[in-house]
Amino acid sequence: MSLQVEDALVDLAKEKRRSPTRTRLWNVLLAPPALWMLVFFISSVTIVVLLSFGHVGDTGKPVFGFSLDNYKALSDPVYLKVFIRSAVFAIATTAISLVLGYPVAYTIALHGGKYKNALIAFLVIPFFASYLIRMYAWSTLLADEGLINQLLRDTGLSSGIRFLNTPGAVIAGLVYGSIVFMVLPIYASLERMDTALIEAGKDLYHSPLQTFFAVTVPATRAGMLGGVLLVFLPALGDFVSAQLLGGPSTYMIGNLIQQQFFEGQNQPLGSALTVVLMLALLIFMVFYLRATQRVNREK
Amino acid sequence: MASETVPTTGRRRSVEGKPTFAVAFTALFLFVLYVPIVVVVLFSFNSKKSLSVFGGFSTRWYQDFFNDEGLLSSLRASLFISTVTMLCSIVLGTMLALALERVTSRPARITGTVALIPLVTPEIVTGVAALLFFTGLGMKLSLTTVIIAEITFSISYVAVIVRGRLSSMSDEVEEAARDLGCTPFQALRLVVLPTILPALIAAGLLIFALVFDDFILAFFTTGIDPQPLSVRIYSEIRMTISPAINAVGTCMLLVSVLLISLSLVVPRLLGRKDSSLDLISGG
Repeated sequence: MSLQVEDALVDLAKEKRRSPTRTRLWNVLLAPPALWMLVFFISSVTIVVLLSFGHVGDTGKPVFGFSLDNYKALSDPVYLKVFIRSAVFAIATTAISLVLGYPVAYTIALHGGKYKNALIAFLVIPFFASYLIRMYAWSTLLADEGLINQLLRDTGLSSGIRFLNTPGAVIAGLVYGSIVFMVLPIYASLERMDTALIEAGKDLYHSPLQTFFAVTVPATRAGMLGGVLLVFLPALGDFVSAQLLGGPSTYMIGNLIQQQFFEGQNQPLGSALTVVLMLALLIFMVFYLRATQRVNREK
Repeated sequence: MASETVPTTGRRRSVEGKPTFAVAFTALFLFVLYVPIVVVVLFSFNSKKSLSVFGGFSTRWYQDFFNDEGLLSSLRASLFISTVTMLCSIVLGTMLALALERVTSRPARITGTVALIPLVTPEIVTGVAALLFFTGLGMKLSLTTVIIAEITFSISYVAVIVRGRLSSMSDEVEEAARDLGCTPFQALRLVVLPTILPALIAAGLLIFALVFDDFILAFFTTGIDPQPLSVRIYSEIRMTISPAINAVGTCMLLVSVLLISLSLVVPRLLGRKDSSLDLISGG
């Protein structure tokens, strides 16, 4: 590769001035990463789509094919229930993150004063702990013999509550896993907002709450949309939270995919599940992009 | 960012009255954010084999960790994966960012769009795709396959960070270097790269931390021996609950918090304002 680069550079050295948009150096720079993405990303996703029409051969190995059998198998109520559960969990996670995250972003952006940056850093640091470790941390806290139940028993408040294996625990894990991605974009859009708007709103609407919903919320729609995207996408495909905080009764589509590749060894069916997940995300993205376009047009 | 709209603290506070409730809510929020992590660290020093009753201070779980050859080889594997991924993705990601800033051709635009897709694709999809690709080619799953999968994800990340820095940098400096007789490559090496160096360091540290902590991609693409640390503790968590896992987790926490703090501080020490904090907070 280096020889080609040098050749190109010698050529480039001959022309005195580069045209502002196009020189061979930049094209040479583009080739390796573009090739890498083509080989390792595009082609591997293509394989998933192709294999979803295949089946498991007599030797137990996956075989490519052109049948819709995997997708027919997925229309079974057992799978449909999991798809619906995944969607409900992901939507609940996004909604809870928005409701909890907005006031936090708002407080830091408008009342953080000189501590703003420190508060954002403080907020971000826990999210750089491994996702797996954070889910594990929750599972030890919520366990039947965990710290929270221990405290409940010690204080006599309750003889113990079963948290694990409930939808609530899985959703709590998902919220804890990515709520920062809701707070940060909202924070950024609040920072960009003209605070004179709020003052004008107060003159118009009298109550702070009315002002908030009539002025602040519309002005930060772009940030909220960004947060919704960043929380919803990973939540829909997650399997760690349902694995560590839930059980088979709370499994999501990610758990089914994981099972097909590691326990069921039905890779074509696992591929079909992955394609279903990708389609769901694609539909979400279409709505998302239309919503962002609308917000941008209104600006 | 519209800087002309940032009034003094006093004026902002007067805007919507006393924020007592909002401040209390935020404090509670930050508290809950830290509880699980503090508990993991605390119980890693427990002298008892319990995760709910603290028996006293002890470092026995750390001794267990550092005497466990299996865990140590996983730790080495993770450090190896993170280092190689960081170096490769910085090179490839920076090339991509530079090309996308300068080339407006069709292939470049398509690559630019494609490079963003891994960032909005759930890791499980990328993991499944990588697994099928490797097994389809007949490649044996190993640390190499993990590294390839991690690089694919990281290129996009680096490209976004570096482009952020490049777009705030004026073309004219580079043009001036060309007028003074630099070849395009010299202009790149002597003018552009030094300017974006802080962003590169920040991106590198961030990638190292993200890859070191990553579980899902590693889970789908790793072989059996040695496994990355995150995959290794995942299988331990499913079998048993023990403060030994807390000790490993605390060490991982330490690595990531250290690296992230560095990625926030280094660009500022080098006299630049751009740091990964600005990136993640969208500033």
